[in-house]
Amino acid sequence: MLKFILKRLGASLGILLAASFLLYILVINAGDPLGDLRESVSDNREHLMAQRTEYMNLDQPWYGRYWTWLTGVSKCFALQCDLGTNIQGQNVADLLSVAASSTLRLVVLATVLAAIFGIAIGVLTAVRQYSGLDYGVTFLTFLFFSLPVFWAAVMLKEYLAIGYNDWIKEPGFSTPQIIVIAMVFGFLMQVFLAGSVKRRLITFAVSAAFVGVAIPYLVWLNFFRYPQLGLVGIIVLSLAIALSGTAMTVGVRNKQVLYPALITVALGIIMYYATFSLLQAPNTWLLIGGGILAVGIPGAIGYFMGGRLRKVAMWVSAFTGFALAALTVLDHIYRAWPGFLKLKPRPIGTIGSQTPDFVGGFWDVFLDRGAQLLLPTILLAVISLASYSRYTRTSMLEVGQQDYIRTARSKGLSERTVIFRHAFRNALIPIATIAAFDFAGLIGGAVITENVFGWKGMGEMFATGLTHVDPAPVMAFFLVTGSAAVLFNMLADIFYALLDPRIRV
Amino acid sequence: MRVQRISKAVAVGAALALALTACAPGGETAPTDSAKPSSSSGGTNTVEPADTGLADLGDITTKDDNIKVTVGAPDFIGYNSNTPQTYSTYNSAITDRVLSGFSYFGTDGKIYQNKDLGSYEKLSDSPLTIKYTIAENAKWSDGTPITTADAVLSWATQNPNLKNAKGKMLFDSVSADLGDTVPKGPEGAPDSKEFTVTFKNPDPDWQIQSWLGAPAHVVAKQGGLSTDEFVAGIRANDGTKVTKAAEFWNTGWTTKPGTLPAADLIPSSGPYKLKSWTAGESVTLEANENYYGTPAATKTLTYRFITDDAMVQALDNKELNVISPQPTIDTLAQLKKLGEAVNIQQGDTMTWEHLDFNFRDKAVFKDSLELRQAFAKCVPRQQIVDNLIKPLNPDAQVLNAREVFPFQENYKDVVAFSYGGQYDAVDVEGAKKILEEQNAVGTKVRIGYSAPNPRRTDQVAMIKSSCDAAGFDIVDAADPKFFAPGGTQERGDYDVALFAWAGSGQITSGQNIYATGKPQNYGEFSNKEVDAAWTRLATSMDPAVHLTEMKNIEKLLWDNLFGIPVFAHPGLSASSSDIKNVRHTATQSQIVWNAEQWVRAE
Repeated sequence: MLKFILKRLGASLGILLAASFLLYILVINAGDPLGDLRESVSDNREHLMAQRTEYMNLDQPWYGRYWTWLTGVSKCFALQCDLGTNIQGQNVADLLSVAASSTLRLVVLATVLAAIFGIAIGVLTAVRQYSGLDYGVTFLTFLFFSLPVFWAAVMLKEYLAIGYNDWIKEPGFSTPQIIVIAMVFGFLMQVFLAGSVKRRLITFAVSAAFVGVAIPYLVWLNFFRYPQLGLVGIIVLSLAIALSGTAMTVGVRNKQVLYPALITVALGIIMYYATFSLLQAPNTWLLIGGGILAVGIPGAIGYFMGGRLRKVAMWVSAFTGFALAALTVLDHIYRAWPGFLKLKPRPIGTIGSQTPDFVGGFWDVFLDRGAQLLLPTILLAVISLASYSRYTRTSMLEVGQQDYIRTARSKGLSERTVIFRHAFRNALIPIATIAAFDFAGLIGGAVITENVFGWKGMGEMFATGLTHVDPAPVMAFFLVTGSAAVLFNMLADIFYALLDPRIRV
Repeated sequence: MRVQRISKAVAVGAALALALTACAPGGETAPTDSAKPSSSSGGTNTVEPADTGLADLGDITTKDDNIKVTVGAPDFIGYNSNTPQTYSTYNSAITDRVLSGFSYFGTDGKIYQNKDLGSYEKLSDSPLTIKYTIAENAKWSDGTPITTADAVLSWATQNPNLKNAKGKMLFDSVSADLGDTVPKGPEGAPDSKEFTVTFKNPDPDWQIQSWLGAPAHVVAKQGGLSTDEFVAGIRANDGTKVTKAAEFWNTGWTTKPGTLPAADLIPSSGPYKLKSWTAGESVTLEANENYYGTPAATKTLTYRFITDDAMVQALDNKELNVISPQPTIDTLAQLKKLGEAVNIQQGDTMTWEHLDFNFRDKAVFKDSLELRQAFAKCVPRQQIVDNLIKPLNPDAQVLNAREVFPFQENYKDVVAFSYGGQYDAVDVEGAKKILEEQNAVGTKVRIGYSAPNPRRTDQVAMIKSSCDAAGFDIVDAADPKFFAPGGTQERGDYDVALFAWAGSGQITSGQNIYATGKPQNYGEFSNKEVDAAWTRLATSMDPAVHLTEMKNIEKLLWDNLFGIPVFAHPGLSASSSDIKNVRHTATQSQIVWNAEQWVRAE
């Protein structure tokens, strides 16, 4: 294995070096770095050209410029990277760190969401192959996949940002709006839950009626400006989760799983009170720590009380604990929302990753960043949804025809076990490769998305560098994306070996 | 199936939760006040300006409010906009609010004195001597008075004779002429409020020479000197003594993106000071509470770095209050759709489009005034303006001069003297006749420009359809490398060049374009009378002489057909209708030129 990795690393370095040479030559010949000065009438034009020629080393031959760059980069091995300066005299290493962090914030959440939802949709459509749901979802994912980014961004801004912000001033629904929403919701629910015609009709009627009642009620509560969950809400919802979790796994009669779950709920309620003031002004580490405890302690309870069903009890309790923690956080976010609306009357932003000079508590800042991140995340996630869902679907269908699946079914395993334990795991192998590539690609930045939403990330750095015929930022971009591509490629190979017992290197 | 049981349980649970938790509607009723348009939205200014300069707002106090503006996507670079790396109109749009000067351009390019900072007067024409007086109360935001020392620093940065040990210019400044044109620099005690400068030769553009830039006390301190020592070092031409200070001036203000230099390094002499910077996203300016002149009308001014595509929606979403996108018909249509919520500022800019003949060896128009006249007769200038420019600027007109613009006061005067209107209307028949007389029917004319540029492609198409009828054979010679070294322009492989000059408001800058052997005289036009007129203009200090010579030059350029001016580029900006005093300017200082006067109506 080690020999394999080292061999791959060596080859990758060679490839990077050759590619960097090629790219450097292409960039410095991509245009005229003095172009913007040539149409200027200022009397200091010649002086400006001479100065730029000097500080950008334009008078040196191409190999000299490349060599200067290469020696600077080779200092990276001594951990003293010198990536040079850009056309504006700024240190490219500094620019890179700013751009990379911006891009990571933008793409990580979108990639994770796209992967989770894409895989889930893929499994669902594979299980219900050739159903209305399958066709509908396939149609939608392809539609999303082929959306022009700039156009979709404009639409999102128009309706989700400007439209929502206008609406939130005085939230309300007209009767026709309520009817349409109820109908659509009812329709979607019957598509998802499926069943016989009678069953579908009942599902449709019940869900539509629920929405038809719930929306006027929420409007009456002024829920959209003053959302509330409250203790009772948390208790009811977490009990529902604990009971459903138990029911889904072993049935509510099984006390070895039910009791730890119920104890978790009780503990969670106590913690809701205990942490109340702490969570009104928390910090990131507190939330992460709390999240770990909220999973770990119920897990331990499940471990000690689960007996024979220890593993199931652990999962159910941990999940209940996590849901409780999430509900508690949601409750605090709800409490912060009215104050946030006062600070930022138009909450959803169309530009930038944060409101400049925004002053507020932790939750206000959290909401501000979240509201700015919302649109680009939706856009990026929706667009990459298609590839994940299609690959998962194909992979699931292929695995579903294997002999071992038939064997699993014929020995009487439940459909759920067959799908998740036997089919899904094996179907994930090719998805791992795609995810690795996808992530490596996304680090390169989403040029258009960054552009229309006013984020300055890697894509923007590359594009600006290229327009100015400024090699240093372009090469820095290449270093990061090139290395990421090589690295993730290798990780995917290693991952293969771990996932697939047939592969041994 | 189990899944259905569960989802039902969840649905019932959710309904229960809603029923149980909420006992009463939350909070007070939603605020509605902001939805109503301002009652005073009639005019766009709080005080109507008397001329093209800044309006006199009178005795105002700073309003605790925030106005957000964007002039484009490029990020802030640094406090010092005068190094070759940081020299950009985007950076100046910010630093001009922080660092004052003795003069500024009005909306039509006219030069005004900045009375807040002080005044200047011409003492004598020969030698040209100017006396500058700094206002008694003028000081940097850190409390240090603005004095002659600051002027000496400004002069030193533009002095090519001040060299370091290696013989290189000490200050890496974009401007390097004041050391030669004003050999002695500003004369006066370093701590005095008055200084005089004496030019070696007459300089008609003396008013826009920069005598105040960075703070001398900061630069001196960073160079390990007292302000007096620093001034003495510069005046003694002692390069080694001020090397360290100069190095700070060159690079010390360029910091990691998102991090401003320490507050004591970036004092302000203008109505605003730098407050914060988020890399790639925004720079926030705050009113300078120590400002000695009319205070900023609004306390906080936030610059955001946004591309054109995102500007209009951000304005609609109130994330931006003032935007200046590239003028395109689409953008204008989007803005118009916002209706009364926004004010749109349209008008000419000082960048102007022109067709220049090539007078070099292989070009067809080189020796034939008649052919040039035939070409000028068939170029459909009115049609170009009507179809391409009027949709963006309803007031646009065909440009008939090169050194003055239609929005300037002496335009009519100059045009009336220099141009008889012979090329106003397209005269295909006239052009045809000349071509036939010259036995030049079918002459190939290559119109070169820097591609891609859709508007110029359209212009060439219009010229082709008109001039081909007259007997020319117009060829669209667009090339991405038109201006690049070794490109079409340098090789001379074109007959007519179509491009634009960005006017800078200088009186003498045209000499570089029209006089023989000058660097920007791309077509190598040469005319002794034009050369002589430029020399007379550049060496005179009398505005009357300037006007006379300007008329002469324009007339000579029309008579000899150096080229054909076409139109002034349109400018476009827009502001929320509740923001007052946003005024269009034709100059390169952009829409933010009077940002310190912007204020939100009550």
